[in-house]
Order: sequence, then C-alpha cells, then structure tokens
Amino acid sequence: MPEQPLKIMVIDDENIVGKRLKPALEKTGDIVETFEDGEKALARFNEDPFDIVITDIRMEKIDGIEILERILATSGRTKVIIITGYATVETAREALSKGAFDFIAKPFKPSDLRAVIERASKEPRP
Amino acid sequence: MDLQLADIEDPDARISIEPENIPLQHRPSISIRAKVAVSFSLFFILSFTVTGWSYWILTKLENKIEFLEIADNYMVEIQQARRFEKNYLLYHTGLPDALEHLKTADAILTQNSDKVENILGKNYFQTMVSLMSEYHGQLALLGNVKNNAGKEAIVPSLRELGSRMVSLGEEFVEKERNSATRMFLLAKRVPLYFMSALFILMLFVLTFLTRQLLLTLNRFMEYTKRIGEGDFSPILPVRKYKDEFTKLAEAFNSMIRELDHKHKVLLESHKLRAIGTLVAGVAHELNNPLNNTLLTASVLNECFPTLSEEEKMEMINDVINETERAQRVVKNLLDFAREGETEIAPLEIGKIVEDSTRLVANQVRFAKVDLKLDCEANLPRIHGDEQKLKQVFVNLLLNAVDALPPGGQIHIHIKKDKPQGYVLVTVHDNGPGIPEHIQARIFDPFFTTKGQGKGTGLGLSVSRGIIKKLGGYITLASSSGQGTMFTVALPITESPSEIMSK
Repeated sequence: MPEQPLKIMVIDDENIVGKRLKPALEKTGDIVETFEDGEKALARFNEDPFDIVITDIRMEKIDGIEILERILATSGRTKVIIITGYATVETAREALSKGAFDFIAKPFKPSDLRAVIERASKEPRP
Repeated sequence: MDLQLADIEDPDARISIEPENIPLQHRPSISIRAKVAVSFSLFFILSFTVTGWSYWILTKLENKIEFLEIADNYMVEIQQARRFEKNYLLYHTGLPDALEHLKTADAILTQNSDKVENILGKNYFQTMVSLMSEYHGQLALLGNVKNNAGKEAIVPSLRELGSRMVSLGEEFVEKERNSATRMFLLAKRVPLYFMSALFILMLFVLTFLTRQLLLTLNRFMEYTKRIGEGDFSPILPVRKYKDEFTKLAEAFNSMIRELDHKHKVLLESHKLRAIGTLVAGVAHELNNPLNNTLLTASVLNECFPTLSEEEKMEMINDVINETERAQRVVKNLLDFAREGETEIAPLEIGKIVEDSTRLVANQVRFAKVDLKLDCEANLPRIHGDEQKLKQVFVNLLLNAVDALPPGGQIHIHIKKDKPQGYVLVTVHDNGPGIPEHIQARIFDPFFTTKGQGKGTGLGLSVSRGIIKKLGGYITLASSSGQGTMFTVALPITESPSEIMSK
C-alpha cells in the first residue's frame, strides 16, 4: 500500500461502474470520486487534480479520448487509464499514442483494474 | 360494311371486360401470325370476289350486246316484211319479198334460239315464234285469196298480228337496252365500291392490328420499368386469348422468378452486412451489462462478509437487471438476424420503428447524433413483415447516421395518411443532403456515395424492393442544405371488425 492515498477519478456513463468501483478501489485506502458526466468530471478535475483518471471511451456527450487529451494538457503527473466495451486495436493504439497509461477492455474485474492502478502509481508516466 | 365496323369495335370491348381472371391455359389461342394471315386472306377474298364479279358482268353484257344485234337484225327483217305487206295490199306486188324477209327473220330466231330464249325466257320466245308463224300463215293465205272481199276479211287480223309482232320486238329491244345501260353503270361503279371496301379493310387492319401491337409493346415497356424498380409480381396478360405476346409474358414471368430469387439472395446478403455493422455496436452494448454484472458479482464476492443485507440485495438485483439487459440486446439482434420466410402480418409500426432505433442506438451514440421519435397515438396496424421492415428502417437510420456530423439530428415521425390508407414514416436528418444530380440514382442497385468498402449500394435498392412488395412506397424528399428526408408509406391493415362496420 502506498504511503500516501491516491486520488482516483472514475468516469463512466454506466452508473453501476462508478457505484461498484468506488468501494472496490477505496478498500485499499485510496480516495475515489465517480462521475457519469465527462464535463462535470473535467470541471472537478480543474478545481483539484487527481492522480489517476479512469475513463470510458464511448460516452454520449464527450468521449474518453477528449477527456484524456484535456487532462494530460492540464496536469502532467496524472495517469489516465482507458476502459471501453468497444475494444478494437485502433482505439487502443489511439489512446496509447495520445498518452494513456493503459487500456482495459470491458468486462473486467476490480482486481484487474487495481493491478493497473498499482503499476500506474509506481511507474513513471510513459 | 356494318359488319366490319362492328368487328373493329369488338376487340376493344373484349379488352375492357378485363378477363385477367381467366387462367392462361383456358384462353383460346389467336396468334398475331393468324391475325395477319386472316387480314391478308380477307384482302385476297375481296379482290377475288370483285374480279370474278367483274368478269361475270362483262360476260353478261357481251351476251346482251350480241342479243341486241340479233334483235336489231330481226326487227329490220320484220319491218321489211311489213312494208312489203303494205305494198302488196296497195299495189299487189312484193308478197314473195315479204315472205322472203319473214323467212330470214325466222332463220335469225331459230339460229339464235338458245341466246334469245336465254334472255327472253321460253314463254316469250314461244309467243314470238307462234306470232310469226301465224303472221306467215295469214300472209300466205292473203296470197291465195283472189277476191277483194276475201282479202278484206284477212287484212285486220294480219295487221293486228304484224303490229303485235313489231311492238313485242321493240319492247324487248328497249328493255334489253335499258338493262345493258344499267349493267354498264354498275360495271363502272364496281371499282369505286372495291376501293371503298379496301379502304375500310385497311383502316380496320391499321387501327386494330397495329394499335393492338403498339399498345401491348407499350405495356411490356411499362413491365420492364416496373421490374427494374424491384416489383417482382408476375405479369398476368389482359388478353382474352393467347398469342405471341402471351409467350413473351411467360418468358417475362420466368425471368421475374429468377430475378426474385436473386433479389432474395441479395436481400439476405445485404442483411448480413447490416448485421455486421450492428454487431460492432451490439458488442459494446453487450459489454456494458456484462461489465456491470462482472463488477457487481466480483465486489459481492470480495466484500461479502462486510456488506449489509440491503447492499447485498441491491447488488443481486443489479446482477439480475443487467443480465436481463444483456438478454434484451441479444434478443433484439437475433430477431433482426433470424432467417425466415416472409411473414405478412398486421403489425404495430411504432414498435417496429422503436426496435429499429434500439438496434442502431449504439451507432447513433458513437456518432454523437441526436435521435428523436414522434409517434402519433392510436395508429392503425400496417401490413408487413416485421424483420424486413426493421431491415428497411435500420438501413435508413444507418444511412442518416453516416451522413451526419457529430451533433446532427435524426427525427423520425410516424403518422396516419388515412384517406390514402397508408401509415407514413418519415426519417429526416439535418445533414448535408443529397446533391440533386445523384438523387435520381440513389435507389439504383450498387449505387453508393460511401467510400469503397464502406457501402454496398444495396441498402436503398433492397429497401425499395421490400416496401414495394408490401404494397407501399418509399420516396426521397431531399434538398441540399436542408438535410435528407425519406418517407416510407405502408398500407393499413383493416381488421375484420373495421370491415364489418363498413
């Protein structure tokens, strides 16, 4: 467990994702905030940057790639993990080339995500 | 002439009865070849009749002229005989000359007895012969009687017989001359009658045969147009009888069957392509409930001891709901993809359009397009095949999504067109529209504006085929800049109770 709790932001328009990931990730002592709306999430991020942002790609109003770009432009130390149900090699490559830390395809278990968060907290940003 | 006019009107009357209901094999066979043959035969018979009649009338005239010559000769002899008779009575000379002329007249009659008898008839001929012999007898008697008193007794009867003979002869000559004149007149008129009859016959052939051929050719041209537009219902010839066009219609029908079969294959392949497009969206749609289920079940598993009863129940309900959501997604796609024969049934158009929008929901979401569905309340049911109709609407919606930039809008409106007996579904997008120069071609098979490998060019062509087959129509009302609007019209099904209430 890291000495300092991580501030994690989860963005997914499926509300169950946030609802389940919040307790699952908070178990390790990290601070988790969940959002269904990308715009609200970005507004919150601008107030107070997070260490890790987990975002879905395909969302109605604003898509994950845009969130990734805007967060990386705002905060250099934040690591962005992309999750999506529409997993194609192209979207994964695009996300990674634009600076995403990693890419997880739906469906996944909380432990899968925790492993990635674990790596993200230790490794420097690519 | 009247008969021919009636013949001209007859075939038209036959067509207007519309004998489509009579099965083809029960119709009598009248080929175009037979019609042409009959027309030519009519021409030939007419010419033959007129020629024959002319020949007959000229022969008859020839006989009459010959008879007139004989009659003239005969009359001359008789008149000569009478002149000598008068001379004898006045000057007592010339009786042998009178008898000589009478003999010549008798010779003329007997030599030409056949012809004269033929023209005058047996009775008249006999009268003439007996008159002449009586006159001859009286004349001979006159020669034998020497005293004046005896002569005076014979003279009245002799004069009487003589004048009767002359007037009878003159009467016949006059009669025959009149008859010959009439015949000449007739012989002059025959070519005119013939020309008129020929003209009418020509008119008949022109109007009846040619018009019928042209009309049928035009009808076949319309058939090809109809088939080209994807209407594969078979042709039923309207004629009451069979001819070469019937064979052509049969050939058309077998072509239509082939085309229909090919079209079905095309329809299926187009559907497979649509399914391919939809599957990408459905995968995402399916991954979300799967993810929700997996996350919920994992958390339930990891934190089971620490969770309250209430939380556990909520999670279990979430698992159930999300699994059902996945089930619905799969069912919707399966309903669309299921192969099946066309099943025509009364359907709720609102539900079909709604299912279609659900099928393309992910494409709509990915393209960041706004989709609005307006459905009039209490819509009558329509007549159609559920799967095929979904195929049409999915296709129209996918086209609209492809055409729209992010933020674009699709507006579907379902309303009644009661007086026409249709339900109208309009799919309106506010995209760039279809340029005018290609609007005429968008329903053509294999015509596509999408890049290579993206569109098959079959969507609208297949859609039109489907809608036409259901008795409806699909039209484009688009102008560049104002977006594109397609209207699908489907016939309303009348329920038995509605029919009863009429």
